[in-house]
Amino acid sequence: MEKINRRKFLTLVGVGSGAVAGGAMLSGAGLLGGPSGDKSSGTFSFRAVSGLPGGALPSYASYVVQGNVNVAARSGVVARAVYAGYPGAMSTIALPGLSQVVRVTDVREAEGAVDITGVIDDRSQLRPGEDAVVQIRVDRSRGVAWTGFLGQNVEMRLQA
Amino acid sequence: MMGYIQPSDGPPGQTGKGGEGMADHLDEPNLSPPGGDPSIDITDVYAFKKGNKKKSTLMLNVNPLTLSSSFNHRALYQLAVDTNGDARADIAFNITFTRPHSSQKVKVRRATGDDAREDEVEGDVIISGPTDTVLTAGQFKLFAGRRSDPFFFDLLGFLAGFAFTGSDFFADKNVFGIALEVPNKALGQNPNVGVWGRTLLPEEDDHDDDHDDDLMQVERMGRPAINTVFMKGARKREFNRGKPHNDPAEFTGDVVTVLKSFGHSDAEAAGLAAILLPDILTYNYESGAGFLNGRNLTDDVIDIELGIVSKGAVTTDGVAAHTDLLGVFPFMGPPH
Repeated sequence: MEKINRRKFLTLVGVGSGAVAGGAMLSGAGLLGGPSGDKSSGTFSFRAVSGLPGGALPSYASYVVQGNVNVAARSGVVARAVYAGYPGAMSTIALPGLSQVVRVTDVREAEGAVDITGVIDDRSQLRPGEDAVVQIRVDRSRGVAWTGFLGQNVEMRLQA
Repeated sequence: MMGYIQPSDGPPGQTGKGGEGMADHLDEPNLSPPGGDPSIDITDVYAFKKGNKKKSTLMLNVNPLTLSSSFNHRALYQLAVDTNGDARADIAFNITFTRPHSSQKVKVRRATGDDAREDEVEGDVIISGPTDTVLTAGQFKLFAGRRSDPFFFDLLGFLAGFAFTGSDFFADKNVFGIALEVPNKALGQNPNVGVWGRTLLPEEDDHDDDHDDDLMQVERMGRPAINTVFMKGARKREFNRGKPHNDPAEFTGDVVTVLKSFGHSDAEAAGLAAILLPDILTYNYESGAGFLNGRNLTDDVIDIELGIVSKGAVTTDGVAAHTDLLGVFPFMGPPH
């Protein structure tokens, strides 16, 4: 399967390289739309957001996972990043060292959800000890998605 | 005379070392891009005595991750000092900057009494000169410019719900530091003072540089973490626009809610909230003790907070003070 580098990924999702060069200024809004599907092409896109930290503490940042997935071809790309600001007032400042590009390697539909497996090809985007293989579950019927963040499984809300 | 509640006045069972931890970086989304100006986003406030016993250093750091390239020439950066325990400023060090060209100049005015409480650039100039240079005028010293961020914290572990990674997110980050060394007598006769920082912007932009506009407070901070840890959603902005003397009435409920979620009883939570609010950094300039007496650059405020907020369940984030600190003014390490 063709590897998709960071520049190509951002071209695919419509972000110019200038926005990426600064790293911390990567735009978190408008890269992709909400969860939407195209049966003719077998693709869907999604964007899921969760406040960090979760639990009792007020959220300080927003974890954003968004991607384009081709279910039929079992391919696609997903971006994960953490932006300053809670989900209701998220900034465009991506916290340094927490942005990752995931190349989709497998897609399975199960129990009304889509299980996505991917790999982070750019090892410089990995934290020490972090697995390059990424699991993401998107449940459009319930409007939620799940993926990992530093070893924790995070439930995220799909955005329309 | 009113006095600040000290840790020993806290609820039974406390260790006597109350506190809170995470600083103020990026806690005000309205100051972040797009549309905002990170150069007026306060990251930390410090007050400590180092070296000369008759002098104190007050520090107001802004511009997290140095997202902005200059200080805001339209803004007022203020270090407020309460000398009588009423949570209102009695002395204010008002700091302004010239428009950025190849470099900027900084000016500090000292205002007292009613002038210290105005949302205006008041006071007599005590020191001025170019940024990125240690300036001296009489008994005052000033530095304003890019420095290594002295704050240390495993931010990623915090975001992951206290799953600490042992890495200091801020170890290689910079801020814009404003360090002001003052003779203690410039902080008033009562050695027990309260210190907090504010940033203000003109309510309307008249596009001149005379600093005579009506200003509006957009950020404030006393002790580290109050806003970040205890204020939820839109309350963050309300807190940043608030005044310390209103804190107990307006924000105790927010603090109590978070503390109770970690298992504190009603009485414990209320007792701790009475220590944490008003959000003022209490400081006795005759004492060399660290946080909660002022705040040194090496004070591990995070570990103190973790123990308090989590009721002892989490005691450390596993990271320590930075090693690039200087032994002399302005004490913050050189920029990365």
